Amino acid sequence: MGRVTGTLPAKEELILDLLVSEGPMHGLALVEQSDGALKRGTVYVTLGRMEAKGLVESEQEPVPPGGIGLPRRIYRPTALGTRMLRAWTAFTRELAWGTKS
Amino acid sequence: MTSPDDGRRLPGTTLLTIASWMFSEQFVSTVVHPTIADLQSEFVASGSNRVGRLRALVRGYSAFWTVMLHVPLTQWAAPERDADAAPGFAVRQFAGGVTALALLFCAGALFDVSAVILMAAGAVCAVAIHHWYERHPLSTAAPSDMPWRPPQINFSSMDVAGNVGGLIFVVGSLLVVVLGVPFLLTILMAGAAAGCLLAWRLAAWYRRHPNAGLPENLIVLR
Repeated sequence: MGRVTGTLPAKEELILDLLVSEGPMHGLALVEQSDGALKRGTVYVTLGRMEAKGLVESEQEPVPPGGIGLPRRIYRPTALGTRMLRAWTAFTRELAWGTKS
Repeated sequence: MTSPDDGRRLPGTTLLTIASWMFSEQFVSTVVHPTIADLQSEFVASGSNRVGRLRALVRGYSAFWTVMLHVPLTQWAAPERDADAAPGFAVRQFAGGVTALALLFCAGALFDVSAVILMAAGAVCAVAIHHWYERHPLSTAAPSDMPWRPPQINFSSMDVAGNVGGLIFVVGSLLVVVLGVPFLLTILMAGAAAGCLLAWRLAAWYRRHPNAGLPENLIVLR
């Protein structure tokens, strides 16, 4: 498992946010839900890195009978990923509040 | 993986096979496989709509090649060191060589043949230096003590040590220049010979006068 650093990059935060709020989904759905913030060519690189850090986990979508093509991969947040998102959101909110006051 | 009813292979199948030869299993399963799975699912979802299929192909292939451009930046793209001895390593090396040759041929079609020869010579020189430093990691040239210098790409800004790696760099650079500008061959040969002679005489002189040229600093001299 990769090292979890003290910061959460913007793309990883967005992916975690989408997965926590919308539920498990595959990479292409994440790209569509992100309103252009995520790109098809890089989303799996980011997801792979997050999986190595233990922030998300994935499994192959079951192929329906008669289905053709490679099975897609469904991603969901891990408990660590969910905690990381909550902590990061609270931290940035506190930081913004502290800066304002 | 299954094929469509008409027996044709789905797009991306060959690319996936080539990628599995060239990259680590982890990179293929986490990045390449899902990218091609998206391409195929969109292609299949388009049904008989030719415009939709074309759009799926364009989007899917551009995503795949974007992934390929990101390969050098990803931390787990390269095969692990221990995998060098694996049977597939030679195949991956061969595939990499074939890809490089294909790129050179494409460059030959776009530019002049001499450009291809220069690129090939530069590539051979780079590979030779890379292999030598992999085997002699402690001989890597240390950067100079300058705290900062403006970013630049020229020979004078490169740190070269006085070892075999430096020799490969110098000879390779000369080779590339001579290939590009053949009439400089005589001047460069004469310059190289004069430089070697001067270096030999300087080395001999400094052996006889070891303290010459040092700063007048008693601490250093002691």
